[in-house]
Amino acid sequence: MRAKGKPSVQKTVVTQGLTRGQRIKEALMGYFFIFPAFLIITLFGFFPIGYSIYMSLINWRTVKGDFNNGGNYTRALGDWKFVAVFVLGCLLLALAYFIWVRAWRSLNNFKLVGGLLVALALIAAGFAISSGWGGMFASGDAKFLKSLPITVFYAIGTVPFQLLFGLVLAYILFQKIRGKELFRMIYFLPYITPVVATAVVFRTLFSPRETSLANQMLTLLGQPVQKWLFEPRAFVNAFFGLPAEGLTGGPSMALTAIILFGIWSFVGYNVVVFLAGLGNIPKEVYEAAEIDGANSWQLFRYVTIPMISPVTFYLGVIAFIGTLKAFNHLYVMRTPAALGTADTAALTIFDTFYVQNNYGYAAAQAIILFVIIALLTYAQNKLFSEQVFYG
Amino acid sequence: MDSMTQVPTPPPLVGRSPETARTYAPRLNLGRAFLYLVLIAGAVVAILPFFWMVSASFMTLGETINKAWLPAQLQFGNYVQAWQQAKFYHYFWNSVITTAITCVGLLFTSILAAYAFARIQFWGRDILFALLLSTLMIPETVTLIPNYLMIRGAIIPLPGGTWMNTPWALTVPFMASAFSIFLLRQFFAQIPNELYDAARIDGAGHLRFLVQIVLPLSRAAVMTVLIFAFIGAWNAFVWPLLVTTKEDWRTLMVGLWNFVGEAGPETQLLMAGSVITIIPILILYFIAQKEFTEGIATTGLKG
Repeated sequence: MRAKGKPSVQKTVVTQGLTRGQRIKEALMGYFFIFPAFLIITLFGFFPIGYSIYMSLINWRTVKGDFNNGGNYTRALGDWKFVAVFVLGCLLLALAYFIWVRAWRSLNNFKLVGGLLVALALIAAGFAISSGWGGMFASGDAKFLKSLPITVFYAIGTVPFQLLFGLVLAYILFQKIRGKELFRMIYFLPYITPVVATAVVFRTLFSPRETSLANQMLTLLGQPVQKWLFEPRAFVNAFFGLPAEGLTGGPSMALTAIILFGIWSFVGYNVVVFLAGLGNIPKEVYEAAEIDGANSWQLFRYVTIPMISPVTFYLGVIAFIGTLKAFNHLYVMRTPAALGTADTAALTIFDTFYVQNNYGYAAAQAIILFVIIALLTYAQNKLFSEQVFYG
Repeated sequence: MDSMTQVPTPPPLVGRSPETARTYAPRLNLGRAFLYLVLIAGAVVAILPFFWMVSASFMTLGETINKAWLPAQLQFGNYVQAWQQAKFYHYFWNSVITTAITCVGLLFTSILAAYAFARIQFWGRDILFALLLSTLMIPETVTLIPNYLMIRGAIIPLPGGTWMNTPWALTVPFMASAFSIFLLRQFFAQIPNELYDAARIDGAGHLRFLVQIVLPLSRAAVMTVLIFAFIGAWNAFVWPLLVTTKEDWRTLMVGLWNFVGEAGPETQLLMAGSVITIIPILILYFIAQKEFTEGIATTGLKG
């Protein structure tokens, strides 16, 4: 497929030899051609962004009201002072990372001082983040604030696994394998089928009945049966019996089941993109490494992994943003019995908007989520782009 | 893509076909049986839910409760019941109609805009194109609420008052996509200028050049865009859920979701309904498998 080439814009346009009148006619033609697309994208793409910001600043509960001085934002996040402390903590964390990277690269005599500074910054950051968060939690919207770590659990639970499984399967498929096309086709199937339909299946597979497929597997392994989607307890508590409660215990059992569903849905997409990426690694690199006596594991570790890292990075960023915004998977799989432990930010916003009809407040929550996604994407870029090898 | 693999190579170690000769993969020393085992395990996990979905859709209620693996006798009645009593026929045609309208509209606006961005010189073109691409970064959560209120007619007056429960609400917002325009533009821009010069000498304008020369040459790109548009429209869930409060124009996904509540413990009916919703996608996938995977591999699109 040639769609990915880099065409140069200048060369493809013929303007030389045109009179002034012809050029104006040409330009009018251009506007005429883009008009239908731009009309729709302006109405349903650009305009809603501006309007969302406006909505987030007013009272709009079924009926449109007046400006409320950012009341929607304070209602969600709590007292501004605590938010400021929390943000300060995050900045300290970034500072600690910055110093650590510098110390790592500089001479030995800086390492001790650097290490001390990092430890200091980390302690301060931990203190600021925990006290800021505690204050926000006490004064803000607990349901919304709780949904943020739940969203992060969902992202961290799905993204690394789907990348790992995707890379392993793609790498094996890239060997000389019989039925390669068939395998690729099967892996891709979960990704293209409608989420609602597959989620309906997974709801029954993960049902709390003793005869559900998930529970049959557990029985086969000699484990006690689980309530899966109906289990609000933390995964480590329900499965391993560890004393963990609430958000500190990590994802709930219900969320864990949804995470498994998410991984199942997205592995095939990663396989296909990884396969394309593997095909682009020049074989000379492998040959050179083989001449140097590298074994197959070393080839994978020191040739494939660095050479494929741009693809991994790209897939990681896309998947991370995707899970932070994820809605369908979670909406169809959630149960009242999970007591909101699987309600990510997108679901909480939807509830505020659609169930409570609180449009202004929901718009504010959506904008907070957008800002968080943008910041986390930026941080992810900063953290991982240094480890990407672009040849 | 293959420019780096053109250097003469020693004969491949295993395969002999030209296909395997071009790609080089390091041999794994692990037993090949083990590799196949991993692949098959992955395939089983990927396909098991589908197997169960189809199998359960043919079962009796008792069989689904006892979690039988296969139905003793194929109960085609489940499909009849889902299709007629649960009104899947109605939702199905709604989905077909709205998906078709969306795809046609999307292709129309995208092809025109992509052509203009690729081959027509007009003032502000590059800025407009950058602006267009910036919409790819906006999350749906932000635009969803204003769009819903707009469809209800609460923000600006719409022709007909409100678009709730109309096919317009389900189609018009999706009739343009920055991604489709981007993909097609990349393709159109590669078509050599000489062709346009020749067409101009023959008296053809932009529109005729587009329809008679560019489109036939870009069939692969247009197919890719069409497939993504189809999947997007067919699988759409939140938006139809918001804008169809009545049954008139309710689509298949929303119908299936409501059926989750109505079917209750009758899993076999629910599974029959699920099979109905995925069949069109599966047919399209098997017909255009190559375009699917290659389209995704080259664009990296997340649907």
